[in-house]
Amino acid sequence: MPPDKAALLAASGFFLAGSVHAVRSLSGRSRQGHGIGTALLAAGFLCQCLFLAWRGRELGRCPITTPFELLTFVSWAMVLLHFVTGTAYRLSLLGAFTAPLALVLQLTALLRYLPAYSSGRTRPGFWPEMHATLSLIAYGAFALACVAGVLFLIQDRLLKGHRNMNLVRHLPAIHHLSGAVHRLILTGTLILSTGIIAAYQMPSRPPAAKLAFVWGIWGIYTALLAYDRWRGMSARRSAWAAAVGFLFPVLSLWIVARR
Amino acid sequence: MPVVCIGLSYTNTPIEVRERVAFAPSTIGPATAELSSQSPVSEAVIVSTCNRMEVYAAGPSATATATAVDRWLRQRFQIPDSTPFFRHTDEEAARHLFAVVSGLDSMVLGETEIFGQVKDAYSTAHTAGSTGRLLNKLFQHSFRVGKMVRNTTDIQRGSTSVGSVAVELAEKIFGDLRGTQILLLGAGDMSRRVAQSLQSRGTSAIVVSNRSHERAAALASEMSGRAIPFDDWPAEVPSTDVIISSTSAPHAVIHHDQIASAMRRRRGRPLFLIDIAVPRDIEPSVNNIEGVYLYDIDALELIARETRSRREQEIARCREIIAAQVNGLPYFHSYGSRDSKPMEDPA
Repeated sequence: MPPDKAALLAASGFFLAGSVHAVRSLSGRSRQGHGIGTALLAAGFLCQCLFLAWRGRELGRCPITTPFELLTFVSWAMVLLHFVTGTAYRLSLLGAFTAPLALVLQLTALLRYLPAYSSGRTRPGFWPEMHATLSLIAYGAFALACVAGVLFLIQDRLLKGHRNMNLVRHLPAIHHLSGAVHRLILTGTLILSTGIIAAYQMPSRPPAAKLAFVWGIWGIYTALLAYDRWRGMSARRSAWAAAVGFLFPVLSLWIVARR
Repeated sequence: MPVVCIGLSYTNTPIEVRERVAFAPSTIGPATAELSSQSPVSEAVIVSTCNRMEVYAAGPSATATATAVDRWLRQRFQIPDSTPFFRHTDEEAARHLFAVVSGLDSMVLGETEIFGQVKDAYSTAHTAGSTGRLLNKLFQHSFRVGKMVRNTTDIQRGSTSVGSVAVELAEKIFGDLRGTQILLLGAGDMSRRVAQSLQSRGTSAIVVSNRSHERAAALASEMSGRAIPFDDWPAEVPSTDVIISSTSAPHAVIHHDQIASAMRRRRGRPLFLIDIAVPRDIEPSVNNIEGVYLYDIDALELIARETRSRREQEIARCREIIAAQVNGLPYFHSYGSRDSKPMEDPA
């Protein structure tokens, strides 16, 4: 088995274990703390790093060309951002929900696995790579905002319905979650803006349809932030927007991957 | 060498007796030293809280040691022989201590305060030079068992009183209660206690509003808050995070439209409403407003009751852990117990 595939299978294994641990913790069947979940997520992340390093060295470029590479990179970016934002804002349980989404992205990527030798080795140049990398990291931020949004909606429903106090105890405070949704959307939008600037520095402009899609995603998230800034958006609507909004980056990835 | 445990607790003794035998904190050290100098007692630890007074003592003979402790206690507190002390020896004493430290013998099942109280009692006795190898090992072991029970079961999980449930919910809404403001509508005892629970977690400002302004002012003064006329409370809602309502009004005091209007000025910040009045002060439809979380007294009490019930279900698991630990105790026998037969309870 090629080392890159082995690394991703190992990453998927760790994310699967993290997901199982999360379910057991939330159902009260496991009393181990968040430390185990964080360790599993970190181990999966390390395997993804090994994949990117190995694949990058083999190809001589950033491995973000094929659908398989794109999905892996988004999954990697999401876990990276979790470690940056989740731990900083005491949202340790975000990791429990990050693991399943990382697993889904990773398994979907593995279904479309292509060995390194069959990927193009032509280096696209600095600006195309910069554009693609920044856009994918932004998508990672939107993915994590989606996770935080879903967590918010669950916690909100439980608190309003006065039920399952056991699960309420495990989930982060809704005020922290709504703050995380806002910060992650802002972070993703800023990174995506930089990615769009990079696109306009490319020697040959990307196809208009793809550019329009990136602008569309940027527009959706910017409009969301602007509406919240000027009119004030309820935390629940922001959470819904973050959860549903991630469908657009996913759709965009699918279109880019079809080329 | 045998260990005996002699004492009384809320389970077998009324408060009128318990308050007579309570040791003031400053007297426990000297009393322990005095007790351990009574022949044949060679080691002693006194645990004295509002719910229990227990003496753990070691001596060459269980019966003689227990008799000496019993006599010393009765003389010190002028307790008649008709008031019985419970007695446990060796494994039974260890089992009892492990249960006490784990919160299984507490009035509020699983409470954590007792762990610290027993630790303090042991530390005081140790400092007074009243503990030896046997009680040192027993108490150190009990702390390990206490931690094991609390970490591997749900015996201390959740909140068991209305006040602590309110605090737990507030923390799940706001995360950190520092910087939050409470508005108290009505100056009843229950709302005061809930507010005090929230205040103990860092709530920074308390505003009290009551139909009788004098009562509002008195309560505000007691809680370092400020009192406002009853008609002015709606103006406080946009800057308030938690509203505790307990007026004696026969109809709803807080209406859907008032809260909906206030929420528009809160820019998405949630609002936690606690209605502990009967009949209820807050229209139930308020809970349908986005960002508003309404709990009435029944909802809070239900959560507390569920927690208590879950803790009770954990008792068997806790007892199993304790039994396994007691079965493995090596030290009573390694000290060559000369009199380890269970004593007859004088009661």
